[in-house]
Amino acid sequence: MLILTRKLGESIAIGDDIKIEVLDIKGRQVRIGVQAPRQTKVYRGELYQVIMEQNQESTHSHSRQIEDILLKFKNNINNT
Amino acid sequence: MKIQTSRFAEIDIDESKIIEMKGGILGFNHLDRFVMIIHEEGSPFHWFQSLEDGSIAFIIMNPFIIKSDYEPEIDDQTLEMLEVKNAEDIELMVILTICSAPVKITANLRAPLVINKQKKFASQVVLADEQYPVQYSIT
Repeated sequence: MLILTRKLGESIAIGDDIKIEVLDIKGRQVRIGVQAPRQTKVYRGELYQVIMEQNQESTHSHSRQIEDILLKFKNNINNT
Repeated sequence: MKIQTSRFAEIDIDESKIIEMKGGILGFNHLDRFVMIIHEEGSPFHWFQSLEDGSIAFIIMNPFIIKSDYEPEIDDQTLEMLEVKNAEDIELMVILTICSAPVKITANLRAPLVINKQKKFASQVVLADEQYPVQYSIT
């Protein structure tokens, strides 16, 4: 991992179109500004991890079990 | 075109129905093309089947059926990326997670799929709004 020391107001450039700037420092909190192309998704690291793990758990292959659950709940859900 | 899937064996896809991921599904960014297949007539569930990897399919549904006051705020960058011109072009879907023992279905309200129905472009959007849980129980 590349480690850089930056002061308030200084920035880091990643490639030609991503810029990360230190906007404010208060005690243990740092405010960071990120400029990136719109196709680059920027998330808090911990949220990214949670969503990624949830997606992994959500891939379902065909099984009798899944089919039975879907059949059981399709009516329940339509009725609510 | 025909593709091999573990869910449906060989299926024939109408190419006009293919959805192209503009921003991927997190953790599955290598998969660009999906097709939505209704679970069965009258069912609220749909399979979201990868065309590139036949073993990958998600179960998705319209979130308003389970949460009528769902009001996710989709950022402008996503709308631009999906080339959304009218709000009516947007279709929202949420990804379900199904556990079989004990039976439990949860919906990921925090990271819906946003689909441009006209252009057939889609992206998974992670909402900034913390009121929407990743595991919203629907059972």
